[in-house]
Amino acid sequence: MKTVIFNGAKEGDMTIKAIEKTIADQLIKKRWEVESIELRTMQIAACLGCFGCWVKTPGTCVINDDGRETTRKAIQSDLLVWLTPVTFGGYSSELKKALDRIIPILLPYFQSYHGQIHHRMRYKKYPKLLIIGVQEPNVDYEETFVALAERNSLNLRPPAYAVSVFQRDKDPKMIPAFVEELLKKVEVIS
Amino acid sequence: MSQPRKVLLLIGSPRGERSNSHVIGKFLVDKLEEKGLFSEEAFVTRLVNTREGTEKLLKSVDNADIIVLATPLYVDSFPSQTIKALELIHEHRKAVLPTKSQMLVAIMNSGFPEKEQMDIALKIIRNFAQASNFKWGGGIRVGWGMALNSEPLNEKKGMTRKLTSGLSLAAVNLSTGQPMSEKAEDLASSLFVPLFLAKTMTRLFANRDWNKQAKENNAEAKMRDRPYEINQ
Repeated sequence: MKTVIFNGAKEGDMTIKAIEKTIADQLIKKRWEVESIELRTMQIAACLGCFGCWVKTPGTCVINDDGRETTRKAIQSDLLVWLTPVTFGGYSSELKKALDRIIPILLPYFQSYHGQIHHRMRYKKYPKLLIIGVQEPNVDYEETFVALAERNSLNLRPPAYAVSVFQRDKDPKMIPAFVEELLKKVEVIS
Repeated sequence: MSQPRKVLLLIGSPRGERSNSHVIGKFLVDKLEEKGLFSEEAFVTRLVNTREGTEKLLKSVDNADIIVLATPLYVDSFPSQTIKALELIHEHRKAVLPTKSQMLVAIMNSGFPEKEQMDIALKIIRNFAQASNFKWGGGIRVGWGMALNSEPLNEKKGMTRKLTSGLSLAAVNLSTGQPMSEKAEDLASSLFVPLFLAKTMTRLFANRDWNKQAKENNAEAKMRDRPYEINQ
């Protein structure tokens, strides 16, 4: 079983680094293969909004850079993890540059799902999804962040997903228990 | 807020002038120009990746009394470079406190017919406005963007009458330094057909249109390909 971690942190974010390492440690103990991708070091151009990945080269982005590889790794994983500083309740631009490029894992066609229009699924199997935000002290964007993750789960339809926010001023010793609870929620450990 | 004099139209779409974000935002800004405001346009995708571009962006934001951020919905939020612009503006305003009251207005657009699909993205922009000392000027959610087809908005056309009426009303509010009214927000965010009809038409006609586009690119037979499937 394979986990791919999209790390959307800025350089020097030790809290996100510690969470990433803890996830890897806990999963490796369970014999999972873990690959962490530090997105800020990757050559991933911004999505052009051209829909070429749907109508010119279906399933593959027209931009030939690291964005293709991150998308391939994401869809081929069993658990996809997104790590990000909570950015006004959403994701960092570093994480988002990779997420904007994964839309070819969906089809362009529309269907009704949970009462709303969404895109149809391209693949038979999708990874489970774990979304973790690290939030600065003195702000409270958790509700927005959780709601955004819920919307993503409606569009990407993972077989299981979990979302949580870790406060940056919390004791780092709490990270292992925080991570363990989330890995249980996505049913990769028991 | 005193009488605004300058409005900055900040386009978040990578499609630039060919985007719905531009045509909707431009309509509002043209209305504000008619009321005596000076306007400037900035395209975030052309600015955020260079030092010179970032400086230009921040200077334009500093100079404006009203910033209209017009951006599409991408993966339930907005494009990465629009987020990058917000991150840069926020950092700048932490370092250099704003010297005047400024208002931020958001215009979201999406291909999905339901405006509610843009609620979270709009909330994120509102959170940014609050964290970065902007007065909130209101938010418009334009669903079913494919019906606009990136063509200039026409007040006389039935398809865009509600949207243009709402934007015109918003311009009246904003030109006096007031946030747009709920009526302006609601009107501009309303579909020109009932939602159930828009949803049905999306499933029928939009899906046909994807196939038509694929055919033009000789890709129709590959539409459902799974290039990254394991064990093909």
